[in-house]
Amino acid sequence: MVSVDKEFITRGLRRSSTGRFLLWILPWAALLVFGLYCAGLCLVKGLNQTNMDNRFAFGLWIFLDLTVIALGAGAFFTGFLLYILKIDEMRSVINSAVVIGLVCYSGAVTALMVDVGQPLRSWFTFWYPNVHSMLTEVTFCISCYLTVLLIEYLPIVLRNRKLRDVPSFLVFEHELHKLVYVLAGVGTFLSFFHQGSLGGLYGVLRGRPFAFREGLAVWPTTFFLFILSAAAVGPSFILLTTWAVEKLSRKRLVRPAVFRRLARISGLLLAVYVLAKALDTLVWINRTSPGTGFQAWQYYSWQPFGTWILVAEIVLFGLLPALVMLTPRLRAHTGWLVSAAAMACCGVALNRFVMTVQTLALPTLSFDPYLSYFPSWQEIGTFLAVVAYGVLVYSFSFRYFNLFPEERELRLEAAAREEEEELALAGRY
Amino acid sequence: MLPWIYGFNWNAGHIVFLGAFYAVLAALVATLAKAAIRSRRDLRAGQVEAIRWHSDFEGMPACDQVCRHVLTGEFRERQCPHAFDCRECETHAKLIECHPLPPVTEPEEDVFGMAFPLDRFYHRGHAWARPEKDGTVLVGLDELGARLLGQPDELRLPKPGDRVHANGAAFHARRRNAEVRVVSPIDGEVVETGSADRGWYLRVKPTSNDAKTFQHLLRGAEIKPWIQREMERLQLALTAEGAAPALADGGVPVSDIAAAYPAADWDAVCGEMFLEG
Repeated sequence: MVSVDKEFITRGLRRSSTGRFLLWILPWAALLVFGLYCAGLCLVKGLNQTNMDNRFAFGLWIFLDLTVIALGAGAFFTGFLLYILKIDEMRSVINSAVVIGLVCYSGAVTALMVDVGQPLRSWFTFWYPNVHSMLTEVTFCISCYLTVLLIEYLPIVLRNRKLRDVPSFLVFEHELHKLVYVLAGVGTFLSFFHQGSLGGLYGVLRGRPFAFREGLAVWPTTFFLFILSAAAVGPSFILLTTWAVEKLSRKRLVRPAVFRRLARISGLLLAVYVLAKALDTLVWINRTSPGTGFQAWQYYSWQPFGTWILVAEIVLFGLLPALVMLTPRLRAHTGWLVSAAAMACCGVALNRFVMTVQTLALPTLSFDPYLSYFPSWQEIGTFLAVVAYGVLVYSFSFRYFNLFPEERELRLEAAAREEEEELALAGRY
Repeated sequence: MLPWIYGFNWNAGHIVFLGAFYAVLAALVATLAKAAIRSRRDLRAGQVEAIRWHSDFEGMPACDQVCRHVLTGEFRERQCPHAFDCRECETHAKLIECHPLPPVTEPEEDVFGMAFPLDRFYHRGHAWARPEKDGTVLVGLDELGARLLGQPDELRLPKPGDRVHANGAAFHARRRNAEVRVVSPIDGEVVETGSADRGWYLRVKPTSNDAKTFQHLLRGAEIKPWIQREMERLQLALTAEGAAPALADGGVPVSDIAAAYPAADWDAVCGEMFLEG
């Protein structure tokens, strides 16, 4: 088994022993099994297994969906940067970005299927769609984009050392790879719309003045803010995951210049997002919210959702990381870079939390109580299953596929440096 | 959602929405279909070996993709855009015309104690091709390649009548954990197989015998700088695999390098040196 396992690992890449790898995946596999049990309970017994109800219809799962879809935007955005804008540095992270995108989107779709229930009838959404719902656009875009990601993942799999021994796999991978720019274009188009529609579906909630926004034509401002925030944190998440994989595997996987480039792009987009978000908030405070009969401060009188959450979202997790990533001196320092990327990712998660949980918790009528919600263990289990699934897919991909094409080259460069140092030492003595 | 389905109206919004998604689905199906059709065409045209070589070449570190004219000092820096197939390279043709290689005066080049006869052409994947008087070409493993493999545990040669393709696999060898495909320097049909004892592995009837047949291969004055660079690559590969080679002290490689470094991942070292992904 050990020798078979080794035969699938890319030549020249060092990976942990089979035993250590099994030890690593075991707890995640256990978590996945537990999560699948939880999801099974929800599917078999119904949503009474959750702490959601008719008033609090969006909970942990929708928060998870929105967050992972925003973080997974790195896949489409990196593809856009590489294949459309021809930023060649992105080649060293594109494979990893595709795997992250695939994990995020497939995880989100799985969680949605548990949330919606009746998975055997999932095709109804395509056959009997509600053409007036933004969720229809979201469903269509996400399913199409997941298909795009699966097709983009295919060449990565087929380039596996053993699989490329099969001539038809090798040739198909080669030909598919030549057409990958089409997939990148389609992915960008789809992502643009579904990120926007996910934001838009909150902005059109007239009955929820905390979330309701005016906008351009049929699109509320949240449509554009979601697109911008996802594009901004996508590269940050790629940076963060690459750094984490480097630390966990104790290997250099990409050049520092790639980290800095990702950070610069992320910082620039984040700065634009923060500006747009600040303007949107000002318009909402002074115009939209009073127009619906509520003063904005009223929303923040319900604890724990005080104004601190707004400050944290815009300043702490928006402006601050953007400034760090845009300052060359700070960007050159890995600690600052990674902290800023992590803060940006937290920022988008907080924004999705606010849009989902805070929106539903706040009363909308004078006799409404303030609602509180805490997920049930079945919900948490399903949430953790998605996380475990993501870790497992990424771990297997990292082990058996060449996710970072420069890894081998960087090792050779490190060896060259080592040798030079030895020579220098030998010369000294 | 289709036009005859519940809720559909023939208005601009629905048509644009549907049109966009049908276009996306059409683009995805067309992409997959095009890739499948092209793959079938490639398989029928026997392009597998060429594609494998291109795939291997793309996977090589940029520093290993250097142009042969960098080796001879004509360029300071240049990455080969043709996967070492100089037959397609206009720059190579021009350079050879302007600066022809000096005539060979010695029968062989001695580099680090290894003999590289100059009566033959060398592929950068450590195979050589020597034209014979009867119009056939002998294919063998150069001295460095032979020392890397030592006494192979297994050798798989093609049968007489099989075709080999330039940059495709000529034959396969296994040493320790390393499965190595040795590239063929030329296109042709195998007419006879040899062995390490005979000094060559294949006798090939080349597809054509014109000047272009050997144009992509190294020769004469190019050999020494190439092997010097190969030794640097070997040293690096060994260091990267934790083999801790001796410092450059003027020594020569042993006859069986694989046996000298039992701890090294020989598969990785051979992949690096035989240009295999």
